[in-house]
Amino acid sequence: MGKALELEKVYKSYKLGFIPKKKQVLKGVSFYVNEGEIFGYLGPNGAGKTTTIKCILNLIFPDAGRITIFGEDSLKPKARQRVGFLPENPYFYDYLTGREFLAFYADLLGIHGRVKEEKIRYLLKLVGMERAADLQLRKYSRGMLQRIGLAQALLNDPVLVVLDEPMGGLDPIGRKEFRDIIVNLKKEGKTVFLSSHILQDIEMICDRVAIILAGEIINQGYLGDLISEKVLYTEITIAGIPAAEFNHLGESVSTSGDRVLLKVYEERNIDQVINLVQQKKGKIVSLVPRTETLEDIFVNMVKNQ
Amino acid sequence: MKITTIARNTFKEAKRDRVLYLLFFFAAGCLLFSRFLALLTVGDRVKIIKDVGLASISIFGMLMAILMGTGLVYKEIDKKTIFTLLAKPIHRVEFLMGKFLGLVLTIFIMTVLMAVIFLLILFLHTFTIEWSILIAILYIFFELCLMTAVALLFSTFTTPILASLYSLGFYLIGHLSWSLEMLIKKVKSGTGRAILRVFYTVLPDLENFNFKTEVVHNLPIPTKLLGISFLYGVVYTAFILLLAMVIFRRRDFI
Amino acid sequence: MVGKRAVEERSSGEKLLHRQRNLLVLFLIVSLLLFSWLKIQTDKVARKKVPGSSIIYLPSGKYLKYVTFGYSSLAADIIYLWAIQYYGSYDIPDRFKYLEHIFSIIAELDPKYTDPYEVGALIAVYDAHDPELAYKILDMGLQKNPEMWIFPFQAGHIAQMQKDFERAREYYRQAMEIPGAPPIVKRLYANAAYKTMDYQEAWAMWKEVYETAKEDWVKEIAYNHLYRVKSTVDTEALNEAVKKFKERYGRLPADLKALVRVGLIREVPKDLDGKDYVYDPKTGEVKPARVWWKR
Repeated sequence: MGKALELEKVYKSYKLGFIPKKKQVLKGVSFYVNEGEIFGYLGPNGAGKTTTIKCILNLIFPDAGRITIFGEDSLKPKARQRVGFLPENPYFYDYLTGREFLAFYADLLGIHGRVKEEKIRYLLKLVGMERAADLQLRKYSRGMLQRIGLAQALLNDPVLVVLDEPMGGLDPIGRKEFRDIIVNLKKEGKTVFLSSHILQDIEMICDRVAIILAGEIINQGYLGDLISEKVLYTEITIAGIPAAEFNHLGESVSTSGDRVLLKVYEERNIDQVINLVQQKKGKIVSLVPRTETLEDIFVNMVKNQ
Repeated sequence: MKITTIARNTFKEAKRDRVLYLLFFFAAGCLLFSRFLALLTVGDRVKIIKDVGLASISIFGMLMAILMGTGLVYKEIDKKTIFTLLAKPIHRVEFLMGKFLGLVLTIFIMTVLMAVIFLLILFLHTFTIEWSILIAILYIFFELCLMTAVALLFSTFTTPILASLYSLGFYLIGHLSWSLEMLIKKVKSGTGRAILRVFYTVLPDLENFNFKTEVVHNLPIPTKLLGISFLYGVVYTAFILLLAMVIFRRRDFI
Repeated sequence: MVGKRAVEERSSGEKLLHRQRNLLVLFLIVSLLLFSWLKIQTDKVARKKVPGSSIIYLPSGKYLKYVTFGYSSLAADIIYLWAIQYYGSYDIPDRFKYLEHIFSIIAELDPKYTDPYEVGALIAVYDAHDPELAYKILDMGLQKNPEMWIFPFQAGHIAQMQKDFERAREYYRQAMEIPGAPPIVKRLYANAAYKTMDYQEAWAMWKEVYETAKEDWVKEIAYNHLYRVKSTVDTEALNEAVKKFKERYGRLPADLKALVRVGLIREVPKDLDGKDYVYDPKTGEVKPARVWWKR
């Protein structure tokens, strides 16, 4: 299995301000994406995610470093032949209808005639925009624009799909739909590179991730390797017994009515709590073990820097 | 072909620009007004119609070229529609050429429309159509193509307002070439004069496309000049576009 | 850290971009040279120029004033500068057709701008050979700027050159009356008066100059002129008398005293120096003792 995308020591700086002051945005970014995987690129706002993506797509020219897409140097237009891109906050020619919009890009990609029509029909169905296809883009909601944007990114049947914050502004249903589409892309053998700062989505669908902070990659690897299965603590909701009874066993987080939410850190204390509840004739409403999430890792890493 | 696709799209977009129609409205107004001005003169009425007509087409055409040229590219960059475009397997120069051709097509259509109104008014007055007028309008169109390229050039690296001002500056310099020529005659020969000569040769001379005088006064237009002027226009436009390409290809879209 | 990497390290994509860039720059230079050469070619082609064609529709100054939005004096400057270049170029043969129009525009836009009046008049006289136009321009100048004695002064000179002494005298009189006019204007007036054969006026004027002169050399000039006036008056009278004598007696008198004896004149006048006039009995001509300005 080859590398769909590889960045080697990419540097980029800008000169900003009236008296140009050099700002180093990317400081030697290196990572790779395997063919056929869903790769998550995370970082807080301003870390350099979008700049990295623009470097990949030849919208920005790095000062130093090398970027290859399936082995091809990214500076050549050829490299982008089978790449699809959905930018953050997409904006398109608002006087075109959804269908015309897709037709324009299809023409640009050299897709004509029958093939073009079928492709457009298929993609409109895929992103759920069949009914709105003949509405002008200016009338689309944010979510609709994201969908039609995704359709545009898939026009040339790309082997690498680059998505910059694709779920931003989508409602939960929309996010689920997008997640499903992305997972399907992987099933079709495509490689997906998506950047986001919504960690739950990344956790749900990505195979590997890289975390960028202030222009540097501070961690990258398989999600499973980064997140341990270790249980941090267990949350137990108990009814009918005052919180004070459990002081020696765990931390009482909140009380409402006759319910107590208890945080138990030690595993042996869990059995003790259960026994105590049975003794005192109370009721266990719920028992939820909390494992380490991506958010925890992320927050920790950011704090450590 | 990618260039034609972008050209068509640019034309569609330009058609929607309200400024275009506003300028056309004013141009039509001026052309009609010339008809009334003609009533005020004593003697040759047609001269006024020809003069005002050609001047209107020239000035409003120039404004259209500049305002559209500077607005379109900037709008794409500002609204970020350009990201999805350039992420495709397309050379940036193809994008620029497509934009240029789309604009030229638009300007061509507007020029034809203005010319039709003008010729109609003229025809109602004289019941003839003179070839020389068509030639004058044709060369006004060539000048407008060059101005479009200039507007595009400036829009690749600066805001629409500044780009418009620079383009206007280019237009003024282009029509004042003769004054530089006069100045050179008065300067003593030496390095100063040599430098001025270089400027004089390199700076644009838009009077080469100006046949209004010949047309209005029924003077012959030397055919040699027609040929050389046309080539001059083509080469200078190419030069401007190449300059735009050099700047545009390495531009970071932050 | 980061810097320009050595050429060998560059990726194939970068090399391609560099090649493309170099190609573009090459085309750029070629097109520059090409259009420069073409430009030189266009200059070689002669184009017929129509006189004043670019300003044929320059409306009258009154309307132009409104159009120039309060920058009328700047507009006057620009048009004046242009006019100087325009009239300085000798290849437009009929460029004087609109001379009056142009200079009246300048006058309308900025009436207090004095140079154009003077220069316009000069162009009218020396280039266009139209002294009437020059008078017109200078009259306009004086009308708008009554304190400028230089305008009628110049007009007087022009008239004098044209040997139109009546006019010259009138202009000099005008100039003379403007406060601030230098003394020479008076002298020119007197001289012009003499030329128009108004000897009385001339005598009176030169007398005034003589009496009010502060410098000796001016006094001398005045004296010379007074001498001339007197001698002209005297010699004319004497010549007239000689003619009458001849008519009456059929011969020329032997000397001037003969004229007194027959009662044609009361007495033989002497010139201003007190010298006698020279009479040539053979031709009957009376002349002053010496040339008036050689004294």
